[in-house]
Amino acid sequence: MKYNLELIKNKRKIIGFSSVLILLSLLGILYSTFNTSYKKPINLGMDFVGGNELRIERICKEECSNFSPDSVLENLRENSKNKNLLNNIKLQSQNNNKLISIRTPYLTIEESNNLINILDNIIGPLNYESKDSRLIGPKLGKRLLTNCITSLLVSLLAISLYITIRFDQKYALFALLALFHDLFIVFGIFSWLGIILSVEVNSLFAVSLLTIAGYSVNDTVVIFDRIRENLKSKKESYNETIQLSVNESFRRTTFTSITTLIPLLSIILFGSYSLFWFSLALSLGIIIGSYSSILLAPSLLLKD
Amino acid sequence: MKRRQGWLFFIIFLLTLSVYLLINYPLQLGLDLQGGSQLTLQIIKEEGKVRRDELEAVNSVIDKRVNNLGVSESNLQTLGGDQLILELPGEQNPLVASRVLGKTALLEFRTQKKGTSTDLKTLQLQRLTIKELIEQYSFEEKSQNDNNLNFIQDDLKDIEQELNYSSNSSDLYGKLIEIKKYVDREITNLFIKTDLSGKDLINAGRRQEQTNNNWEVLLTFSNSGGEKFAEITKSIAGTNQLLAIILDGESISEASVGNQFAGTGITGGSATISGNFSAENARELEVQLKGGSLPLPIEIVETNTIGALLGSKNILKSLYAAISGLIFVGIFMIYNYRILGFVSVLSLVLYGFFNLAIYSLIPVTLTLPGISGLILSIGMAVDANILIFERIREELYDGNTLTRSIDSGFQRANSSIVDGHITTLLSCFVLFLLGTNFVKGFAATLGIGVLISLFTSLNCSKNILRFFTTYQSLRQKNLYLPRNNF
Repeated sequence: MKYNLELIKNKRKIIGFSSVLILLSLLGILYSTFNTSYKKPINLGMDFVGGNELRIERICKEECSNFSPDSVLENLRENSKNKNLLNNIKLQSQNNNKLISIRTPYLTIEESNNLINILDNIIGPLNYESKDSRLIGPKLGKRLLTNCITSLLVSLLAISLYITIRFDQKYALFALLALFHDLFIVFGIFSWLGIILSVEVNSLFAVSLLTIAGYSVNDTVVIFDRIRENLKSKKESYNETIQLSVNESFRRTTFTSITTLIPLLSIILFGSYSLFWFSLALSLGIIIGSYSSILLAPSLLLKD
Repeated sequence: MKRRQGWLFFIIFLLTLSVYLLINYPLQLGLDLQGGSQLTLQIIKEEGKVRRDELEAVNSVIDKRVNNLGVSESNLQTLGGDQLILELPGEQNPLVASRVLGKTALLEFRTQKKGTSTDLKTLQLQRLTIKELIEQYSFEEKSQNDNNLNFIQDDLKDIEQELNYSSNSSDLYGKLIEIKKYVDREITNLFIKTDLSGKDLINAGRRQEQTNNNWEVLLTFSNSGGEKFAEITKSIAGTNQLLAIILDGESISEASVGNQFAGTGITGGSATISGNFSAENARELEVQLKGGSLPLPIEIVETNTIGALLGSKNILKSLYAAISGLIFVGIFMIYNYRILGFVSVLSLVLYGFFNLAIYSLIPVTLTLPGISGLILSIGMAVDANILIFERIREELYDGNTLTRSIDSGFQRANSSIVDGHITTLLSCFVLFLLGTNFVKGFAATLGIGVLISLFTSLNCSKNILRFFTTYQSLRQKNLYLPRNNF
C-alpha cells in the first residue's frame, strides 16, 4: 500500500549485496578449514567431537576470591592420575570468579568426579546443586555429526521436492536459491564466530539451520503466491507486478518476522545460557530469511 | 448464528478441559529442568547390527539392575536400534549406576588345569605385588615423591621381566593397570570352562564376614545349577586343582575343595565368594548378578548431570522468556491491529493452554529445547493471524463492510497459511525421526505448536471475532484500522 520498495531500480545493488555476503561467508569457511587449529569449516563443539564440559558455582560469603586459572590448572595436573588428558584442559571463570567452567577431552564419570573433588580442594567449597556436567564419548560425537548432516540433507531434499511440485521450475529454483543463500550465510557467520570468538556449534545449531530452512521457505512461498495471483489479474507489466506484489506483502513479512524475533530476543535476554547461541542463530536466520524473501528472491525473478 | 455460538461453547469447553488436565496431570519436566543425571548406553557389537531381541535382552538386564540398585523414579528407554537412555532424576550420583551398569557381569565357574599349581602360585604372587604397587602409586602420587615413584617403576620392571611381557602404555599408572590385566588373563587361562555360569543363579546376596570387616557375596543356584555345582566340586575334591569364580574374565576367587566332598560334591545349591569385598563392591556385584549378565557389552557414551538448583533456575528463566515474549508480541499486535490484535492475543492465550494440555496428555516431557520450540511457535502462531488481518484490512480499504471483510479475509488467507506451515512441519518431522533425544523435544513442541496454531488462529480467532462483532459498539471501522493514513 504505502510501501514503495524500488525493486527494479535496485536489482543490481541487491544481488551485489548478497554476493558480498556469500563471498564473506565462503572466506570464513575457507579460512576456518585451512587456517585454524581445528581445520574444519566450522568450529565443531563437544556434541560432535566428544569431551567433557563442566560448569559449577563456588560458594562464597561475599565476594569470590580471585584466583589465577593457570595455577589452578597446574594444581589439577599435579593431582590427577590421567596426565595425558589434562594437557588439553581449558578453564574459565565468569561472574566475578563465581562460575567456573572447564573443558577437557573425554573423561569417565569417575575421572570427572575426581576432577571436581580436586577442584573443590583448590577453590572450593563448590555448590553441587548448581552443577552442569556433560560427558560425551568420541564415538557418540561422530554419530551425532552424521545424524545431523543426514537430517539436514533429508529435510532440504523434502523441502526442495515440495517446492518443485508446488511451483513451476523458475519459481522453485529461485526459492531454493534464496533458501541456500540464507543457510550459507548463517553458516558463514558461525564460521567467523568460531574463528574470532571460538564459538562452537552443537547439535542445536543443526536444529536452528533446519528451522531456518522451514521458515525462510514459508516467507518466500507467501510472496511468490502473491506474485502469481497478481500476474493473473493485474494489467501492469511483468516487472512492475512483481514489485507491486512485494510491496503488498511487505507488511505481512516484516510483521511475522518481528513477532518471531520478539520471543527469540526474550530467550536471548532471559533464557538459559545453553539456548543463547541457538536463539542467536535462529534470529540471524530469520532476519536474513526475510531479507532474501522480500528483496533477493523477487529480484531474481525480474527480467532485464 | 446458532452454529457460531456452538463453536464458541466448544472453545470454552476445550479451555476448561485443558485447565482440568493441567491440574490433574501435571507436566513432566526433563532433567535439565528438575536436575538429575542422564546416561546414554551404547550396545557394542563387533559385527553386524544389533538385533531387536538383543536390544530387548540388554534392556531387561539393565532394567533389573537399575531396580535392584534402588534408585527411585528412574526411567529407561531405548533410542535408535542400539542405544539405551537411563534417566536418574534428583541428586543421585551417576557414578555408582555407571559402575554397576557398565560391566557385562559374565560369571563363570572354572576348574584348574592339571599340573599348573606352580604356575598359578607364581601368578598369584605377582598379582598381589601388582595390587600393592597400584595402591602404593595412589598413595605416592599425592606426596609427589619422585624417589618412591622410581621404586615402583623398578618393581614393575622386575615383574615385566618375570612375565616376559612389556607394557605399551606411556605413563606409569597405565602400565600398572595393563600388567594387572595381563596377569589376570594369564590366571584365567590356567582354568578350564565348565557348563556352570551366571545363568544358573536364581539369586544373589551379600553379608559381612564374621572374622573381619570384609564382605562376601552369596550365590543361590537353580536346581540344575546346584547339581552342576555338586558335580564340578566332586570332580576336583581332594585334588590340588582349584575352583575359580571368574567375572568378566578376571578371577575373583580361587578355592580348593576339601576331600570330604569327594563322595557327593558340595550340595545344597549355594556358594559363597569371599574375595575381600568392601561393602560397596559386594553390593555392586550382588546387583549385577541378580540382573544377570549382559548378552552384549555396553559402553556409557554420554553422561549429563544437572544440579537441582540449576534446574529450577532454568525453569524460572524459561518462564520469564515465555511470558515476556508473549507480552511483547501482544503489545505489538494490539498496537498494529487494535481489536483484531486483541483477538489474536486471546487466541494466543488459548494456544498456550491447549499446547500445555496436549503435553500433559501425550505426554511430552518438557526440556529446555522443548520450551524454546514452544516459545518460538508463539511467533509462528501469530503469523497466521497477521496474514488474515492484512487481508481483512485490504478488504476494508476497498470499502467492504466489516462482516464481509472478516469473512473473506479468513477465507482467502486459508490456503496460503496451510501451505506456509507445511515446510516447517516437514523440518519438524525429519528432526523428530532422526534427531537425538535432546532435539526431539524441540521438534515435538514446535510441530505440535504449528498444528494447534492452525486451529487457534483460524477457528478460535474467527469465532471470537464474530462474537465481538455482535456488539454494535465494537463494530466501528476505526477500531480495526489504527492509522488514518493507511
